[in-house]
Amino acid sequence: MSQPGGIPANPNSASVIHDIGYRPYAGPRHGEGAIARALVTTGFRNAFGLGRSGRSKILPFVLLAFNLAPALAIAGAIMLANLKEMPIGYARYAATTQVLLGIFVAAQAPVLFSRDQRHGTLALYLARPLPAPAYAIARWLALLGATLVFLILPIVILYAVALLGEFDLTDETRKAAVAVGLALLLTAAITGIAGLIASVSTRRGFGVMATIAFLLLGDGIVAAIQGISSQEGNERIGEIAGLFSPYSLYRGLVTAWADGSSMTPPNSTAMEWLYAAVLLAIALACVAGLVWRYRKLATK
Amino acid sequence: MDQVVVTEGLTKDYGAVLALDGLTVQVAPGVTGLVGANGAGKSTLIKILLGLIPPTAGRARVLGHDIATEGPQIRAAVGYLPEHDCLPPDVSASDFAVHMAMMSGLPRVAARERAADVLRHVGLAEERYRPMGGYSTGMKQKAKLAQALVHDPKLVFLDEPTNGLDPAARDEMLGLIRRIGHDFGISIIVTSHLLGELERVSDQVVVLDGGRLLRASRTDDFLDATGALLLEVLGDDAQARMLDALTRAGLTAARRGSMLTVDASHPAGVQDGGADADVHDVIRDTAGALGLGLVRLQADHRRIEDVFADTSGPR
Repeated sequence: MSQPGGIPANPNSASVIHDIGYRPYAGPRHGEGAIARALVTTGFRNAFGLGRSGRSKILPFVLLAFNLAPALAIAGAIMLANLKEMPIGYARYAATTQVLLGIFVAAQAPVLFSRDQRHGTLALYLARPLPAPAYAIARWLALLGATLVFLILPIVILYAVALLGEFDLTDETRKAAVAVGLALLLTAAITGIAGLIASVSTRRGFGVMATIAFLLLGDGIVAAIQGISSQEGNERIGEIAGLFSPYSLYRGLVTAWADGSSMTPPNSTAMEWLYAAVLLAIALACVAGLVWRYRKLATK
Repeated sequence: MDQVVVTEGLTKDYGAVLALDGLTVQVAPGVTGLVGANGAGKSTLIKILLGLIPPTAGRARVLGHDIATEGPQIRAAVGYLPEHDCLPPDVSASDFAVHMAMMSGLPRVAARERAADVLRHVGLAEERYRPMGGYSTGMKQKAKLAQALVHDPKLVFLDEPTNGLDPAARDEMLGLIRRIGHDFGISIIVTSHLLGELERVSDQVVVLDGGRLLRASRTDDFLDATGALLLEVLGDDAQARMLDALTRAGLTAARRGSMLTVDASHPAGVQDGGADADVHDVIRDTAGALGLGLVRLQADHRRIEDVFADTSGPR
């Protein structure tokens, strides 16, 4: 007796129709480079809540929408009023939306750096071929990429409008390129800081608050010192105070190299390069810190 | 067949704790139970074998790769199910298995296929598409097992895979382990502090105590060592009458709880059955003669625990 399809009717048989046995995998296996790339891609998607629960998509996309709204408004104004000049510089744009940027980085760094530790998933990554330092750098690159979307997209929108509005192409391209370069420096530094804080604080709330405090409050203090020193006429103090926060470094450089609004910008070439070097140094030191941290976690 | 794990004088000194103390052991292919009390050095051994932490002294090879120099090759060829929680709650088992397969170097398409296959083998059906945060402990263990198998490893380390499972889920997990070891052809090193379940699934058992090797042998050897039989009879004052009758039949028998143990290592034959009479037959006939219901007659499986119990005495 057999059922339709020729399957023997044997109620005691443990095998069922979908049990086709175990098939070993004999196909190709990629090396560390491809694995790291896959980890960066997944991390980038996770930073925007993609591949995670629906709830985790809300914050990043709301922030992104707020961040892009002014750029779209400006684009609309330029098109409608047929302006011949950009009302806000490419590089200055990020300085005006720095609070949104700070919240995004603070809120999403724990997704990439705390989640795996809090849920123990890190042990699974460490038991796979990718070494801990490569894991740390791949996670940082994912956060860097996600944060760059915040800074680069407005530049792209404004640049596209400039092209459509037949602005001076050479001039606009140069300004946009400077803005992209500065965006890279700023993003590298703040993602490094946020990543490092998140990697040592497995509690999400603590990591978020500490990062916001460090980035935004730190910048507030620096801005206050710069304001006072500017009013007192002692701009040298403000210039030096500007070295102590990524945002003030960025504003200083924007003022020096583009059209920024810093009250006490670096006023010598040496100081300008020092500002840039400090931003780069913050980024490198934080990435080195991340590598050290994950190497330690791997051998715990 | 080549040994899957070979260690030589493996020592791990944490300063305050000597986690492994000159461990020399060979593990053959198949299912191997790694037994030891908490702190016996099981987890430390697994981490050293994964190439994650360096040993203070000694050498080891996993699947022929040296742990000191070939960590990445080892980690590409083994799977690992940790004892603790390791699943992100906001990701589905399906997405997670695909991701972990890619983290072992599988291309995306192959990773999808493997993930679907392995999730079916461990028995996660429709729930594989739901976030794992809402899973029961049994489902979580299955998802953890799936990620350990998804890249088709040659050897998997399962650290306490039955921890926290109810009896039904534990039986299911043990059945899976047996299938993986015997049908899938993947060697398994499984730790547990429940000895009874290890002897059900493992071909060999390695007993660790205080970082030292207490014993390593085939499971059969452990069980044969006693040669004792466990039996249970039903009836009026059944145990006392049976014990009495068995002693008179020339067997060494003793009470254990509601059951009796009979030493089967000495040949019976005092009774009329002659020198060749099997102990099983003697027991059956004795129970029959007394009119008692023989409800259980099995090999006494206490031996692994006995080996273990010996170590908890004075040292």
